[in-house]
Amino acid sequence: MKKVLLAALLAGMALWTGCDGTEPPKGATITITFKALYDGQPLEKYKNYDYDTYQVQFSRFNAFMADFALLDGNNAIKFGDIAWVDFTPDLAPSNMAVEVPVVFTNVPDGDYTGIRLGYGVPPALNAKQPKDFSAGHPLSRENEYWLGWGSYIFNKIEGQVDLDKNGSYDGSLIYHCGSNAVYRTYDFNVPLKIEPGANITVEFDLKKLFVLNGAWLDLTDTYNHITSNDANDVVIATQLMDNFGNATTVK
Amino acid sequence: MVKPAHFPEVPVPADNPLTLDGVQLGRRLFYDPILSADSTQSCSSCHMPLGSFTDNKAVSTGIDGIAGRRSSMSLLNIAYATNGLFWDGRSLSLEDQALRPVEDLIEMHNTWANVVSKLKKHPVYPDLFRKAFGIPTTKEITKELAAKAIAQFERILISSGKSKFDRYLQGDPDVFDDDELDGKLMYFEEGASVGLPDAQCFHCHGGLTLTGNQYFNNGLDSAATLHDFKDRGRGEVSGNPSDNGKFRSPTLRNIALTAPYMHDGRFQSLEEVLDHYSSHGKNSPNKDPLLVQVGFPIPGSNPVQYTGLTPAQKNALVKFLHTLTDTEFVANPDIQNPF
Repeated sequence: MKKVLLAALLAGMALWTGCDGTEPPKGATITITFKALYDGQPLEKYKNYDYDTYQVQFSRFNAFMADFALLDGNNAIKFGDIAWVDFTPDLAPSNMAVEVPVVFTNVPDGDYTGIRLGYGVPPALNAKQPKDFSAGHPLSRENEYWLGWGSYIFNKIEGQVDLDKNGSYDGSLIYHCGSNAVYRTYDFNVPLKIEPGANITVEFDLKKLFVLNGAWLDLTDTYNHITSNDANDVVIATQLMDNFGNATTVK
Repeated sequence: MVKPAHFPEVPVPADNPLTLDGVQLGRRLFYDPILSADSTQSCSSCHMPLGSFTDNKAVSTGIDGIAGRRSSMSLLNIAYATNGLFWDGRSLSLEDQALRPVEDLIEMHNTWANVVSKLKKHPVYPDLFRKAFGIPTTKEITKELAAKAIAQFERILISSGKSKFDRYLQGDPDVFDDDELDGKLMYFEEGASVGLPDAQCFHCHGGLTLTGNQYFNNGLDSAATLHDFKDRGRGEVSGNPSDNGKFRSPTLRNIALTAPYMHDGRFQSLEEVLDHYSSHGKNSPNKDPLLVQVGFPIPGSNPVQYTGLTPAQKNALVKFLHTLTDTEFVANPDIQNPF
């Protein structure tokens, strides 16, 4: 009987301390599900969308999200570093943008007043390179890193423009934002109850993203056409990153 | 396995860890024509070291003399290809990929049952399988273990890190001449400050391995609709018409050694390749938008049009592409034919 009790006690200790002697996990496992929209509807690759006086199609939309924190009044409780969100993976079964669930563990449960999201790669992580991360880590993605600029590409939005709506595409749209100067965080004041299995939905609406201060971004203008982090393009990259919060809905 | 310090960690699946015995078995299988029905072709028939593990043919030919549809892809740094293999992504792992050519009617035109039978009776292989995988008897030799061994060998096909480009990355700023440096600036979209246009190369051939491991329609063929491509490429696998005409972007490391170019080997030289990209490619509904933006934007054009590249700029890019040549890799004795 003593042996049985000792075994039970040891088993209990193993569960409590974990195999490596560290403290047991605290808090909840939750999921943030990211969704891509256009004008309130699920985004679809290669679909014609009305845009100002013309039409656009999107072929690629992906982004790094970072610095996940829950807000409790003035306090921010960080629960995640970085995630890769690809709505248009090559191996997707259809043209519908996929929903991207990202699971977080050990999230302190309780009631919160909101959530903070980071858009891009925070400077401390952006100082690193894909070689600094193990295979499978979001930041090990080589094709999301600008070797020449020394920065991750925070997000990619690509597609085509049909100016006269005749079904023939006249030009392309390429928005790749990156560099420390355009990293942004936004707070969303939405009551959140964090408990095991909680699911938070984060939606990005590309139509809202491209309406800057109430006006459509002119995709026909030469210098609005492509973003990067050089002197010519950082202006539009900044405008887009400044507007990502407006294009985001948290539920 | 030795990888350059500036390269990312090599992804290795948990169920097929690299071992010296596994790699050596895989190397032998890779070069052994025992895999083909008439014992005339091995993996290396289409993937030869001197061609950076291509065969330098427009399309490869199998044991019956029948030409395939597509060009053999370089296996350099193939361990990093985690978004599908072949030009169309029909295999999701090296282990799966290694199973396919044996039973392909055009390639080795054999059966795995026949191959496994020969391996079991072979004077050398049973012991090599035992060492590599710890199997107790020859009965345990399977096609899956053979594929695992080949995959292990393929995972060590990593750059030496000693190309001119690598020396530049590792801090030697003087390694490039002026043309090579201009080419590098255009390739990586860094040339604006010195008056050079964007060649847009790195979007599809980026990172240290110089491949995005993604699928693109790079404007090779005109198509009025998504259903008009002669070779549907990725769409043939996914069944999604929007993927028709898309192919996996190959690594550009050792690109000077892998002519001819494209999935069907249509371009004989890098000069022809750059002429194609400078012309922005042929139109089709899903042509990649980046193709349009090669060169300088033309002021006043609506929508924005791009100039393409001048002969001097194309020449500089070709010279830069030659700096990606890794002669140490192709001469590495550890990856040569052991027979």
